[in-house]
Amino acid sequence: MGRPVRSICIVGGGTAGWLTAAIIAARHGGQAGCGLQITLIESEAIGIIGVGEGTWPTMRSTLKKIGISETDFLRECNASFKQGAKFARWVTGRESDFYYHPLMLPEGFPGLDLAPFWTKFSDEHADAPSFSDAVCFQEAICELGLAPKLITSAEYAGVANYAYHLDAGRFASFIREHCVKNLGIRHIVDDVTGVVQDETGDLAYVETGKSGRLGGDLFIDCSGFRSLLLGGTLGVPFQSCSDVLFIDRALAVQVPYENEQSAVVPHTLSVAQRDGWIWDIGLQNRRGVGYVFSSSHTTTEAALEVLQAYVGTRHRDLQPREIKIVPGHRQTFWKRNCVAVGLSAGFLEPLEASALVLIELTADFISTMMPATRENMDIVAKRCNETTHYRWERIIDFLKLHYILSQRTDSKFWIDNRDPGSIPESLAEQMALWRYRAPGDQDFMSNNEMFPAASYQYVLFGMGFRMDVSNLPLERSFGSAQRAFTQNRMLKEKWTRTLPKNRDLINRIKEHGLQKI
Amino acid sequence: MRLIELSRSEHSGLRIRAERVTASAANQHLIPIVVSEFRKAAIEYPIVFAKHPETGRFAPYVLNGLGVEENLFWSGTELDVAYVPLNVRRQPFYVGMNNALCIDLEHPCIDPTGQKTIVNPDGSDSAYLKEILTILGELVSAKEATEQFIAAALALDLLAPIRLDIVLDEEKPLQLQGLYGVDEDRFRQLGEREVAQLWKAGYLDLIYSLLIASGQVFKLIRLRNQRTALGRAWHSNAR
Repeated sequence: MGRPVRSICIVGGGTAGWLTAAIIAARHGGQAGCGLQITLIESEAIGIIGVGEGTWPTMRSTLKKIGISETDFLRECNASFKQGAKFARWVTGRESDFYYHPLMLPEGFPGLDLAPFWTKFSDEHADAPSFSDAVCFQEAICELGLAPKLITSAEYAGVANYAYHLDAGRFASFIREHCVKNLGIRHIVDDVTGVVQDETGDLAYVETGKSGRLGGDLFIDCSGFRSLLLGGTLGVPFQSCSDVLFIDRALAVQVPYENEQSAVVPHTLSVAQRDGWIWDIGLQNRRGVGYVFSSSHTTTEAALEVLQAYVGTRHRDLQPREIKIVPGHRQTFWKRNCVAVGLSAGFLEPLEASALVLIELTADFISTMMPATRENMDIVAKRCNETTHYRWERIIDFLKLHYILSQRTDSKFWIDNRDPGSIPESLAEQMALWRYRAPGDQDFMSNNEMFPAASYQYVLFGMGFRMDVSNLPLERSFGSAQRAFTQNRMLKEKWTRTLPKNRDLINRIKEHGLQKI
Repeated sequence: MRLIELSRSEHSGLRIRAERVTASAANQHLIPIVVSEFRKAAIEYPIVFAKHPETGRFAPYVLNGLGVEENLFWSGTELDVAYVPLNVRRQPFYVGMNNALCIDLEHPCIDPTGQKTIVNPDGSDSAYLKEILTILGELVSAKEATEQFIAAALALDLLAPIRLDIVLDEEKPLQLQGLYGVDEDRFRQLGEREVAQLWKAGYLDLIYSLLIASGQVFKLIRLRNQRTALGRAWHSNAR
């Protein structure tokens, strides 16, 4: 037997730190007696970035797994239901231009692929519905501002697939309380003043201001953009992808609602602008709005004007916070006995809400692959690096996909984004194949895929991409396709009639709670 | 339904036909009950829990049918049962806001030919109205006890969705949805302390009533099959 891994030291207490602690503790927790000892140190002086306000549907299973009631979560974190993203003005820039990337697969997918049938139909009919509207009932729900479930739905169960919008600051403290109270995690509030390695180069302990030395067999770096342990002490270089994704600044602002009963939009709104795009996220108590832009294409002053024009003169007094983003990630995510989770591992523009889901996935990887010994850790680290690299590449490809099909010519930002030199080869290859057939599971063979083939379909066809389907054998499944389109119309009719408004459901949950079953 | 507050002077002339009181249950597949009725209801009906559509909160019901708006105990003129739930017997009276006594003036049992009166000739409450007031009183006082029992059952994860895949005679399989019952496996796994607490609170009786009542589903299936057979015979005779 080698040197056993018994203790974990997590440095940093933002969303990444606490969520990682909770995910690992829920599996290896100390309550049963045989568990790992988990310590989390967070600084009082350093605040959290907390811009991650959109989740993936994975957050539902994550919260359930760590033993949190959905009712408590919704009440404590000002959270609301999110059913995907609406991309406005990305294609032509016109007022009427929008498409959806919903969270549900097209009807019948992947057994049946409606994309070529829709393509053929819309080739022949000028008044054909959009792809997302024709194949999925979620767009209709979102357009009406409806919730994805009923008050009689159990916690974490829904009529339509859903994720959340949440208040990141509240979320971190909510998970912290659960970690300390229920999951037996040792919480130390102190500043890390130094990081000390042993003779092999492994991290031995961190020095703190007043709590002495804190050791660990495994260190998890959740220190944010600073990447204190992995980037700092272990010197892992940063790998920028600013040649592919140009966004490198964010101006974020919190916009109050007109009144307490204002509608809560049940999807993330992403509105393309001259040199970037604006996110608009509805929480229970306010909206989170931000303009992300490319500093090589515009100035902060000009960006401020764009943001102010978007939120309107009523909110002239709000003070936006500027955040610098270096798009990209560390060259290695797990080195020696240290693994980075969250911003310390990397960051990309929040176009597809990839920040929180990467925390969940990496924490889950660490938890399920937890090495029993220091010797085994190198094998786990190698696999973690392969998997995480693959995931970042797929996210970068997928984000870039949103830009390369735009027809906007109103600024260099959009034109530069279509420069073939800025398009990763892996994406260019896919695009070549998709000229003649729709994205399918055969294009995504890994167990670690981030986005299903359906997501590529929604963005491709939403962005106006045309496929040549003249050589595809469509006759064989023509009947099934017709039935699927009809089924979608039926579901749309049924659920737009039955589901409550997003705000109405949130109010009811605040008053009555959801049942666990 | 037209609910108004009962006025003993204004409504003194109202007459009730007792045999029509149960008519409102003719197409109710679920009738709400309270915990004090569990033992009596269990001899006749399955007892289930369902969520209120506006609040999502659980309440107990007797199950009368295997489809929406189906009451297999309704013979066409009466409820053919040994125990009629309080919520049927109290018809056409309701408890309104601030515990005010209300009446549904559109209930079919209100009829000039009825035998029952609300007040005596001297203006005092009739024996019939006194009986109604007793029933309504029991419903009100048992409401809280019912909520407490449900809260206790939920805290122990004792409720679970009922999965009944019923195949009726020569019909398509039928699935009941949105109904919950005691999770028997979970109940058997409770520790001694938890069981002792349930016993002290009087909840063990209720849980066993629920378990026994669950067998009444077979009665519903039998009634439904009888009804289908009758219907078929009727149709073949008609031809």
